[in-house]
Amino acid sequence: MTEKSRESGQAARGLLARADNVGRIVENAALVITLSAMILLGSTQIILRNFFDSGFGWADEALRMMVLWVAMFGAVAASREHRHITIDVLARVLPDKAKGGVTLLVDALTAAITMILAWYSWVFVADSYAYQDRLLNDLPAWIFQSVLPIAFLLIAYHYVIACLRQVRKLFGSAAS
Amino acid sequence: MIFIILALLALLGTPLFVVIAASAMLGYNSSEIPLSAIPIEIFGISEMPILLAIPLFTFAGYVLSESQAPARLVRLTEALLGWLPGGLAIVSIAACAFFTAFTGASGVTIIALGALLYPALSQAGYDKNFNLGLVTAAGSLGLLFAPSLPLILYGVVAELPIDDLFIAGVLPGILMMVVLSAYSLWINRANRRPISQFSVAELLRAIKETAWEIPLPFVVLGGIYSGYFAVSEAAAVTAVYVVAVEVFIRHDIRISKLPQIMRESMVLVGGILLILGVSLASTNYMIDAQVPEKLVGFVNQFVTGQTSFLLMLFLFLLVLGAILDIFSALVLVVPLILPVAAEFGVDPIHLGIVFLSTMQLGYLTPPVGLNLFISSYRFDQSIVRVYLATFPFLVMLMLSVLLITFWPALSLVLLER
Repeated sequence: MTEKSRESGQAARGLLARADNVGRIVENAALVITLSAMILLGSTQIILRNFFDSGFGWADEALRMMVLWVAMFGAVAASREHRHITIDVLARVLPDKAKGGVTLLVDALTAAITMILAWYSWVFVADSYAYQDRLLNDLPAWIFQSVLPIAFLLIAYHYVIACLRQVRKLFGSAAS
Repeated sequence: MIFIILALLALLGTPLFVVIAASAMLGYNSSEIPLSAIPIEIFGISEMPILLAIPLFTFAGYVLSESQAPARLVRLTEALLGWLPGGLAIVSIAACAFFTAFTGASGVTIIALGALLYPALSQAGYDKNFNLGLVTAAGSLGLLFAPSLPLILYGVVAELPIDDLFIAGVLPGILMMVVLSAYSLWINRANRRPISQFSVAELLRAIKETAWEIPLPFVVLGGIYSGYFAVSEAAAVTAVYVVAVEVFIRHDIRISKLPQIMRESMVLVGGILLILGVSLASTNYMIDAQVPEKLVGFVNQFVTGQTSFLLMLFLFLLVLGAILDIFSALVLVVPLILPVAAEFGVDPIHLGIVFLSTMQLGYLTPPVGLNLFISSYRFDQSIVRVYLATFPFLVMLMLSVLLITFWPALSLVLLER
């Protein structure tokens, strides 16, 4: 490896690490804001209904949207840490040599499937935009639906990065 | 063929939501349904009001487990039950069941309570293997008590009233506790020395210490049954209450730690709800392809009546629980077996209790029993040792589950169904 390409490799890695940090902060912020809003809005509704016999007409629908949002953000956070629910009975008993290859295969498949999900979620949102679907007192539905393509794209991104790391781990020593 | 490949990929550690999404894509493709119907199904997560309870209860449970509430709970139960001969084992069982109901059987019980109970049990002179087995087995006890997460999820998937399920779980849940307690007493009949004298002063101290946590179950369950709030609202109240008590009144948790707890709990919620979302899509396809009808036809070849159906169901769920976690099993399998169970006259509420209690055994059976791994990791014991230590408890629980399965009245009598 030449001096120059090593430098550019390090620069790229530095950039990735920074993107990683920023991503984590944004994820945390999204999770904290959405969950706090759900807790506050949910409890305000109960107080308004039981003590003042009123309430926000839009609150129940808004809460349902926030469930979807917090779930998708949570799924992105789970992808960053590779903590999705798996069975992995065979993965536990595989010989160490095979494990690396299997991890690469599994991560690549996950990246591919979530990219397809992201693409069709995008189609779904675009259709909804074109038909001008409405939710929540006449707000455009695509605003709420767009969490799907964004989240799936981010999940795919995390697994692409995981693939690249795995490739470097498996073949890196041979290359240099 | 393609489904064998998918199953193999799942066993190799592919995230389950990916496997389910892939099978839905293949299914839609072969029936020429456009794939953009899949995100529409996933968006269905936002159309079920009851789901709100899941992130809120999970967060509240995580806050509780990070606080000193588990230690106070153990002290209170000890003051209440410690004077009984063999009392500490019963203390452990009661405290674990209560705590699991609130934390949703995600292994948190073993981490939060096991660490307190395991050394205490050793100190009280119980056999080491007994302690290991007891703490591991009790880690998922209480699954049938409100407001446990799997109970709520079953209600969501089966479209049943959650409050009915909360009532139905009470007696079967108590049965499991009684069986484990009786077994513990019998095993330790030589070591009957109570851990403490009953003392009113200690009980009052323990009550005073737990004064803020004691109202919690009453607020939650009382609120739901008196009609003051719905299940999802009870979850919001619980979340607010728990944060107020543990952060602002008790100062157990610094406010700067809350974002991390929120993240941790939402990683679990995201994992569960994403699987629910993609399985809405795959279930839709399977119903389209008349899989439940075919399943009824298939089962009819082997099964003649309700009793033989329940026996087959029990065996099937035992195997299922050994390979699949409870949440995935719920969203994937329940929609398919509900119509079959209806065919044999099994009440859907009873089916739910049977399903959950049998899946609870899955926490303790290899190869994927979650509790076995958490205990092995937490107490630094080999997985084989944990398994052997847990086995007698597994047998006891299995006997209780058989009783629950073949005695529907136990689940249904309080509902007058």
